[in-house]
Amino acid sequence: MSSQDTQSTTEDAQLRAGIDRSLRHPVMFFLCSGAAWLAVSILLGVIASAKMHHPEFLSSCPLLSYGRVFPAHMNVLIYGWAMQAAFAVIIWLMARLSRKECRSAGTILTAGHIWNLGVTMGTLGILGGYGTGIQWMEFPVFAWPVLLISYFIIIIWSFIQFRVRPKGQVYVTQWYLLAAMVWFPWIYITANTLIHCLEGHPVMAAGINAWFRSGMLLLFFTPVALGAAYYLAPKVTGRPVFSYALAKLGFWSLAIIAPWAGMQKLAGAPIPAFLPYVGAAATALIFIPACTAAVNMLCTVLSDKDTLSKSPSLRFVTAGITGLIILACSAVLLNLPFDGFNTLQLSQFSISGYGFDVLGIYGFFSLVMFGATYFIVPRITRREWVSKRLISMHFLLSCYGVVFVALVAIFGGLMQGLGIEDWKTNDLARANPYAWAVTISWSLILLSNVFFLLHLALMWMRLGRRSTHPTLLVSSHDHASPHGEEGDIDNAGEIEPAH
Amino acid sequence: MSLRTFILGLVASFGIAWLAVVVIPFFKMRSLEPIVHAEGTEQAGEVFFPKRTGRIVNGAAVYAANGCYLCHTQVIRPTYAGNDMFRSDWGGLADDEDRGDTRRETNAWDFLGESYAHIGVTRMGPDLSNFGRRLEANYLEEGQSPEDWIYYHLYRPFNRADLRIGRATCPPHPFLFEKKKIAGQGSDEALDVDACEGHEVVPGSEVKALASYLISLKKDQAVPAQLDFSPGKK
Repeated sequence: MSSQDTQSTTEDAQLRAGIDRSLRHPVMFFLCSGAAWLAVSILLGVIASAKMHHPEFLSSCPLLSYGRVFPAHMNVLIYGWAMQAAFAVIIWLMARLSRKECRSAGTILTAGHIWNLGVTMGTLGILGGYGTGIQWMEFPVFAWPVLLISYFIIIIWSFIQFRVRPKGQVYVTQWYLLAAMVWFPWIYITANTLIHCLEGHPVMAAGINAWFRSGMLLLFFTPVALGAAYYLAPKVTGRPVFSYALAKLGFWSLAIIAPWAGMQKLAGAPIPAFLPYVGAAATALIFIPACTAAVNMLCTVLSDKDTLSKSPSLRFVTAGITGLIILACSAVLLNLPFDGFNTLQLSQFSISGYGFDVLGIYGFFSLVMFGATYFIVPRITRREWVSKRLISMHFLLSCYGVVFVALVAIFGGLMQGLGIEDWKTNDLARANPYAWAVTISWSLILLSNVFFLLHLALMWMRLGRRSTHPTLLVSSHDHASPHGEEGDIDNAGEIEPAH
Repeated sequence: MSLRTFILGLVASFGIAWLAVVVIPFFKMRSLEPIVHAEGTEQAGEVFFPKRTGRIVNGAAVYAANGCYLCHTQVIRPTYAGNDMFRSDWGGLADDEDRGDTRRETNAWDFLGESYAHIGVTRMGPDLSNFGRRLEANYLEEGQSPEDWIYYHLYRPFNRADLRIGRATCPPHPFLFEKKKIAGQGSDEALDVDACEGHEVVPGSEVKALASYLISLKKDQAVPAQLDFSPGKK
């Protein structure tokens, strides 16, 4: 190795360390408060789900009535956890890929606090009986400008970093993240102004709301998760992305198809009849971008099976990508408007819509975000994860739980749909066992996230292991420590193996 | 690919869909042409305008804030999109004394007076498009007022024998009612339920607005020929 190379490698390492240090506080803040909101959301989800089969459960308390707990559950999941996890991943990845330190950590941190204040007030508003009744926008109307402004203050620095980056190729991750950063405010402003500020037709407002929900899932959470996966998979395995052409196809097909999706939820309602059917077609076609990206990822990851079994981040990312494939298949399955196999009319007003949302937000997006968390946090805190057992508990319970919630809700929803269409039967009796299953699996997920939150809090307090060896999921019988190799305790740099 | 082409590509791919499915339909729907009843019908020459009375705006806000839309829909889909028209009394009354079969699909004029159409999310409960009509025609006992029926239902829904589904899964909403000391003869509106000694349960202002809104849900008026797609009608 020439001396010039050594020098540039050292400079590189210093630059990376500098970037990580500059973002430590904002990223840890978003991840920790996000994880706390996630636990709150799942707790609310368990309560809401229990009320599906036991309506009298906790019914004397107005704050905890089903009609308020369920919207609070979804909104906290989206704005409390998912958006904040996305912020952490976006600002860190954009800084790393633009090779620029963050100079505005304080501003981002302040905006992050305002965001959390907005979410808190909004959630209390829903529970207190001031919800708007517009799905995923149930926060009282005062909340959306607060969230929007803090979003801009958090994200604008990543744009600036991208503009002033050193010249070079733009990586796939950057396409996805930049696009998501543009799409979110666009759909958020559109939906809120058209519904809250301009007077329009009430049914069209419901249509715009359905488009907004689909846009949040397909045009913000999906690209952020895919961007993170495109960064992590090659980085952890050390192999290049399987195919650049596939990556391009995946990105542009998402950009072209996803904005049309969403209004299939209004099939049969009095809006122009082409809107629901365009929405159904676009949602089914999401299969193309989703599977293109998923195949690309899996081919990259499976080229190194050994790392896949050991690395927590890679395991979570791969599980999330598997979730994306299931999501893509159910997008097709739930939206077919054909005579004789009209699953659109079966799923339209059944719990399978909830299953689809949970599959997208938890089974795909959140799992990838967990993978990113397991990768990012040791780098910014300069400590390794405390316990591999906590990680594998989190992994197993999350995966089993979400598969259960999503599949049960999707298929239970189709059964319920059959009950609704067959007007002589009692459709609720059909949905009831599935509602039970959803409660049980949310409880599993709650347990797994208590582990995650605890682990993350330990890392935040800088109580992680001081070691140069990352915490890997290896089941070793020959090591004394249950947490992996100890390595260099002082974290002062690599030491030569003693033997 | 330069940044400029990238941004242009994004704006074009998103912008076209955004205009086509959101912005243009929004402005088109905002100014619907009024529809006039055709010659030869009872209301010939009149503009179609389904009238609703009651506390629509207040009631809709209570309906929204308490998540009624999560389990109840308010849309009767045409038969190509679902079997709603065949459900007993969802789309109207199958056998009205004066008007015969009044069942019809939901149309764009049915939500006038509300700012947001609560189409609904799931059907854990029945569709409410014609709840007010159904309530008055089928559910009421001798001498009971529609409001009273709704109050008892919301106070404790799952104990009702008069619902044909057996056991309702609607959660109770006792917090919409006030429990207060009986003063003098007590309130006329007090519910006949177990309250502590010397107390009575009376409906609060929110539940009154909600009841008024629910009673106003009667979307089975005769529609002009242009909106009438039912095969049985001329």
